[in-house]
Amino acid sequence: MTTIANDLRLIKTVDNLKNYLIAAMKIEHATIPPYMTALYSIKPGTNLEAFHIIRGVAVEEMLHLTLVANVYNAVGGTFEPNTALLAPDFIPKYPSYLPTGSTDFQVGLGKFSQETVETFRKIERSQHVKEDEPLVASRALEEYLFDIIGYQPNRSFYTIGLFYTEIIRGLFALDKEYQQKGENLFCGDPKRQITPEYYYNGGGDIIPVTDIDSAIRALTVIQEQGEGSTNDRIFDAERELAHDYRFQQILLGQYYVIDKDDPTTKSDQPNQPTGKHFTVDWDSVYPIKENAALSDYPDGSEVRQAALDFQSAYSEFLTKIQYSFDGHPEHLIPAVGGMFRLKEQANTLMRNPIPGTPGVNAAPIFRIDQPSLS
Amino acid sequence: MSLNREVINVDCETVFNTLYDAVIVGTGVAGAIVAKELSQQGKRVLILEATVEKDFTLAGFQSYVETFYGAVEKNPNSPYPTNPNVQSPTNYQDYFVEQGPMTLSGSYTRVLGGTTLHWEAKTPRMLREDFKLYKTYGQGLDWPISYDDIEPYYRKAEYELGVCGDVDEQKKLGVEFAPGYVFPMKKLPPSYLDQKVSEKVEGTQVKLYDQDYTIRFSTFPQARNGEPNPDYDHGNGFVPHGVTTVHPVQYGERCQGNANCVPICPVQAKYDARRTLGKAFETGRVHVLYQAVAYKVEHNSENGHVTAIHYKHYKNQNSGEYTIGTARGTLYVLATNAIENARLLLGSELLNTSGMIGRHLMDHPFTLAWALMPEVTGTMRGPLVTSGIGTFRKGKFRRNQSAFAVDIHNDGWGWATGSPKGELEDAVDNKHKYGQELRQTLISRVSRQLLLAFMCELLPEYSNRVTIDPNYKDKLGNYRPVINFNLPDYSRRTLAYTRKVSRVIFERLGAEDFTHYDSRDPAYFVFENEGYVYKGGNHFSGTHIMGTTNKNSVVDTYLRCWDHQNLFLVGAGSMPTIGSSNTTLTIAALSFRVAEEMLRELNSISPNLQPATLPAR
Repeated sequence: MTTIANDLRLIKTVDNLKNYLIAAMKIEHATIPPYMTALYSIKPGTNLEAFHIIRGVAVEEMLHLTLVANVYNAVGGTFEPNTALLAPDFIPKYPSYLPTGSTDFQVGLGKFSQETVETFRKIERSQHVKEDEPLVASRALEEYLFDIIGYQPNRSFYTIGLFYTEIIRGLFALDKEYQQKGENLFCGDPKRQITPEYYYNGGGDIIPVTDIDSAIRALTVIQEQGEGSTNDRIFDAERELAHDYRFQQILLGQYYVIDKDDPTTKSDQPNQPTGKHFTVDWDSVYPIKENAALSDYPDGSEVRQAALDFQSAYSEFLTKIQYSFDGHPEHLIPAVGGMFRLKEQANTLMRNPIPGTPGVNAAPIFRIDQPSLS
Repeated sequence: MSLNREVINVDCETVFNTLYDAVIVGTGVAGAIVAKELSQQGKRVLILEATVEKDFTLAGFQSYVETFYGAVEKNPNSPYPTNPNVQSPTNYQDYFVEQGPMTLSGSYTRVLGGTTLHWEAKTPRMLREDFKLYKTYGQGLDWPISYDDIEPYYRKAEYELGVCGDVDEQKKLGVEFAPGYVFPMKKLPPSYLDQKVSEKVEGTQVKLYDQDYTIRFSTFPQARNGEPNPDYDHGNGFVPHGVTTVHPVQYGERCQGNANCVPICPVQAKYDARRTLGKAFETGRVHVLYQAVAYKVEHNSENGHVTAIHYKHYKNQNSGEYTIGTARGTLYVLATNAIENARLLLGSELLNTSGMIGRHLMDHPFTLAWALMPEVTGTMRGPLVTSGIGTFRKGKFRRNQSAFAVDIHNDGWGWATGSPKGELEDAVDNKHKYGQELRQTLISRVSRQLLLAFMCELLPEYSNRVTIDPNYKDKLGNYRPVINFNLPDYSRRTLAYTRKVSRVIFERLGAEDFTHYDSRDPAYFVFENEGYVYKGGNHFSGTHIMGTTNKNSVVDTYLRCWDHQNLFLVGAGSMPTIGSSNTTLTIAALSFRVAEEMLRELNSISPNLQPATLPAR
């Protein structure tokens, strides 16, 4: 990878790199509100299998966000007030194109439905690019969310995985450059790293980043978990089912089977799962307002207040996550604990109809509280 | 996330036509570990499981959680479906036939994974002196093995179960560890209630047989997901496990403090034997036959070798109809609990040279003491127990009375009074509270609750025993356990003493003491003019103890039956004493040790033959 001609690279300075990493955090987070909305719209106790599949992916997105923060801290990144997770544009305005700039589909906040799950599949879609090509595809569209730093603004990455490939290329090249100068690209304080004891679920994939090897390992985890499968296989490098196919299981109502000892020849083929069937009840879902905005809730209504409360709680959640990334790793666990409250508050909204619009229930709003002008 | 092969559920015919390396009865922690260790080394294993297949799926587990949430009475078995053919004891006389003079009571769970489905998951090691109680204090029995013999297996068990804890705290209590050892995960932090209690009580001196003891608090090692310790395994760290189901969803979160660890952790932070079974099933070398209740271990009267295990296979749990089947292997393992193992051994009319099968039945009787703290202390937050007092686990007083360990319960008075059901009824029915006022009433009443539980050692008594009686059989015609049980003064003295300790603690805390013992309770007894009630601890053990000869014990140090050399009796039944340690960790350690011995034997019988390819009989 390091043989790539320099003029094909988009990341040429450490500031470029940091901007890309902040954008990466934005990308990783951008899928969390859609996943959370779909997840919590499922009526409690129903659609267990689908619930756990979506939940598992959402947990991995949180892990990815953390891994990016580790790389960012490792190269000396800092979190200034109202930047990064707390920047006004950190959360997309849904429906939105993904912050990678792809414009063939938009991601919104919708209830659990076939259409929503199809969109989730698109998010996780995979696409490859040859090593000697720049990782941008031409397009002419003014609507994009992420400026490719210092580069042609009419170009976008096609997938999340390609975006990371670009970062990895940049990291290799910059690391080499720094070494030649006798400097260390990885100048961050190791104490700022989030370490494996702060895992989110059964797995412990958090990788502290201190050098080029660990940086690449961390980013590779994101790439592989996100898309993972290559050559028309359903599994990733860790022999786990790729996200795209995890979501497809929900649409097919059937699990894929991977043979861990001999995954290549004995695992299921794409689109042909052979595992156990399970039931998906698309009706056991709260009929929530799609892409809800505050203006959907009448002034003075209880749902409006509940939506505002959720928004504040979500802002606080991101504030605490950022604080833990900013040199206080021990605060990550209590911060993630805040998700219990978010779930509770989201459920409160979703159980209740919006006054004046029969049959349409309220839904949470993911915005960052703006400091009131005074 | 892990994708498993289909679990190999077999039918009676396949079982009949296969000669296994090992036939195991039971899927609890002991059977699971032996199955995993053997199958991972290429051996073919059959597990006979008495219950229906249901519990290994996500939906199956979730249905347990929902059943528990919906149950009015929250007891250790309330998440689990009643199976009339395979009863799980919950109350005094529902399954046990208690013949007194005292009641054993207590419960265990006959589902896939056994009683680890309802256990609390405390995992203290036994102390060095617990293994030589007779030599040291002239009480009880000595183990034929020492702490040093079992120590490496404690480490294996702590890895398998995923134990969190603090080695330094345990060392202060007298537990010994290999140099540099840390638990796989860091200790669970003491709850707010723990902190409030220890703030005022830590360092309090009490007297016991003219010796001064200083009350000190420490956390319990527990088998639930916490923070992995990066120093574990010489700095390689530890990856916590979730439960791998047959479906590709691995689920096992970090402990969230739901406070209903017993009977069921809704986020599967608590270890249960399904995790180990999952690893065994992944090998593809384990067969499982469900709905198969072993009822007779057959042996060759000339050489004593076990030749088969006969089982009753029922089609429907609501019908007592069954067919009979046979399972054969090179080695046999009874891995149910101490009471079920004894019942099966006695019902099989096996040789009993020592006459000790079913005898030396033990448990940990508990006394409870409860009070209201002067301020709200956040009761109901945290796992069931985080801290306690280990001061009284060892000491010279053990010449005269039993050791004990103390828990601070984070879940309030539930175990003692059924709270918060009573508080709610009182507030609604008697005080007519509703809305905000009802909430406040409950908070002020429930969030101040402090329950102390004192777990006392009970020595192996020859007359405490499980027997069988043709007059008492279950629906499948299998023997129900007939229990003779008494509490010796050695334990009563301690149960009474704990009340003194609780009074001192409550006084220090300024807590209002609500403890009272009902003389109508079947577990009520009077000691030195004061009445007490004990609770069963569900740590049944000692019905086929290990020893040095076939005269003083049922099994040898590898839990091999003296009278039947290819039969292994795995579980707490083989423990000659149990100290003041919850038994599961020691069961797990012994299971690893047995598995090694079984592998040695299997490899010596057919070193060149891959048992996996053994032709059908």
